Amino acid sequence: MNLSNLRAHLQLPCPALDVHVHPLSCIEGYQIGSIDEDIKLLTESAKRSGVEKMCIFSLYPTCPSEPTIEQCRKSNDYNRAMRDLAPDWFLPFCYVNPMYPDESAVEIDRCVGKHRFPGVKLWVARRATDPGLDPICQAAIHHDVPLLQHAWSKTTGNMVGESFPADVADMARRHPLARIIMAHLNGCGLRGIEDVADCPNIVVDTSGGDPESGIVEAAVERLGANRVVYGSDAPIRHFGVQLGKTLGTNLPHKIKCDILWNNAARLFPDWAGVRPLGEEAGDDR
Amino acid sequence: MIVDVNAFTGHSTSYPTDGSVSAVRNSLCAVGVDRIFLSPLNAAWFPNPHRCNQEVYDASDDFDDIVPVPIIDPTVTTWRDELARAAEHPKVKAVKLLPAYSPYELSSADDLLNELAKAVLAAVIQTRLEDPRRQHPLAQVPDIPASEVAGVAERHPDLTVIIGGPRWAEIKALSDQLLALPNLYADVSQADGFDSLKLLVEMGLAPRLLFGSHAPIFIPWSAMARVVNDLNNVDAEAILGGNTERLLHME
Repeated sequence: MNLSNLRAHLQLPCPALDVHVHPLSCIEGYQIGSIDEDIKLLTESAKRSGVEKMCIFSLYPTCPSEPTIEQCRKSNDYNRAMRDLAPDWFLPFCYVNPMYPDESAVEIDRCVGKHRFPGVKLWVARRATDPGLDPICQAAIHHDVPLLQHAWSKTTGNMVGESFPADVADMARRHPLARIIMAHLNGCGLRGIEDVADCPNIVVDTSGGDPESGIVEAAVERLGANRVVYGSDAPIRHFGVQLGKTLGTNLPHKIKCDILWNNAARLFPDWAGVRPLGEEAGDDR
Repeated sequence: MIVDVNAFTGHSTSYPTDGSVSAVRNSLCAVGVDRIFLSPLNAAWFPNPHRCNQEVYDASDDFDDIVPVPIIDPTVTTWRDELARAAEHPKVKAVKLLPAYSPYELSSADDLLNELAKAVLAAVIQTRLEDPRRQHPLAQVPDIPASEVAGVAERHPDLTVIIGGPRWAEIKALSDQLLALPNLYADVSQADGFDSLKLLVEMGLAPRLLFGSHAPIFIPWSAMARVVNDLNNVDAEAILGGNTERLLHME
């Protein structure tokens, strides 16, 4: 197979919506001179792999595990600026910290209510079992946006505030009306899939970890094809390598497109302007 | 010709994947691979890994596109016999070392490495099979630092040394050695990260990088995407096979 044929063979069957992307400016090792450069590098790379839209969340330039609310605000201002400069590309998520539940709810009101961020991001400040997450979940439900919660299950030990998949299941049961994206399918692993199996309000994203064989198929088998969404964790990971977790399976074409776009699109409110393929605004088919 | 320098056959202890020769071969052929350097995955946990090598010799008898890459362990008393078997096999171009799994220090493998150089066989020295964060809690195997493998290339200038499975940041950190040591190469099967190969190529490393898939543990589609999505044809062809063809004098 020559390279032209190989590239054609690796073409995506549909566009991809990546639910898990960070700005380059908040990842160690990348020297970014401006937000314009950040946008240019991210979008060019995404485009080469077939990604057409990204959920973006800054974790503040130094990625503190327990950010102050002011650091969250600055991160969100960066997310907002990326969206405003490239609105066709970015869906900004509002980053908050459950150590400050009330201030976080106010920040969600600012970002989602005022600036139309279509999602909320939680990382590792507190485990998802912490009651500090409750006002945040309620704010996400109030504004009708999904909430993305980091999760891993590390043999080498999770960070103090880092959620296990079972913690995310606990949050989902406390807030059955919340639409939750549990991040890092490969980090959560085959046991993590079981932890959230009976929580219909959780979808899992495929971001992060190595492109290990069989995990996406296992998630589809146990959770259903509508509860798996594509994410990359770029720039920590490569857009195309992470897409391969889905594209390199033997799953049917329709399920691949559901994972790459449709399942995520269904999580957002109408005002986010993201629709499942074939249901775009003005589509009268 | 597309050459995968780092594939396995056998049972994965962690992932629900089919590691049979036919399944691995089919998955790699589906993304255009023409030659598969195949090692026995079962050897990682076998008391005498040499007993697993027959699997890849048999596979190479059955399929022209499979190049056997036997595991040689210098802590097994009869390693010279196993090396002789490899050296006499017409298709063997390289052997693989799994120092983290035996385990042994690379500094204690110099006799084997000297003999490999005399036999004109390359050494693929695997630094990682599985992310330590994802291993079984009672079977944790630490990585071999890629810098230690670079040290082997420095100590054995007549031996071709391929770093198996280094992470992107490790390859980047070793760029000076990769450019300075003519006998040192890096497999890119675990070089994940934003624009991973594009950035390495911009550092001048294209001639030092070799395509590998880490199949069946990893998905071959992903391995191919990191090369063809981001690189021009010249660099992609070099990494996908041109470098390996030249390095190992393949037809």
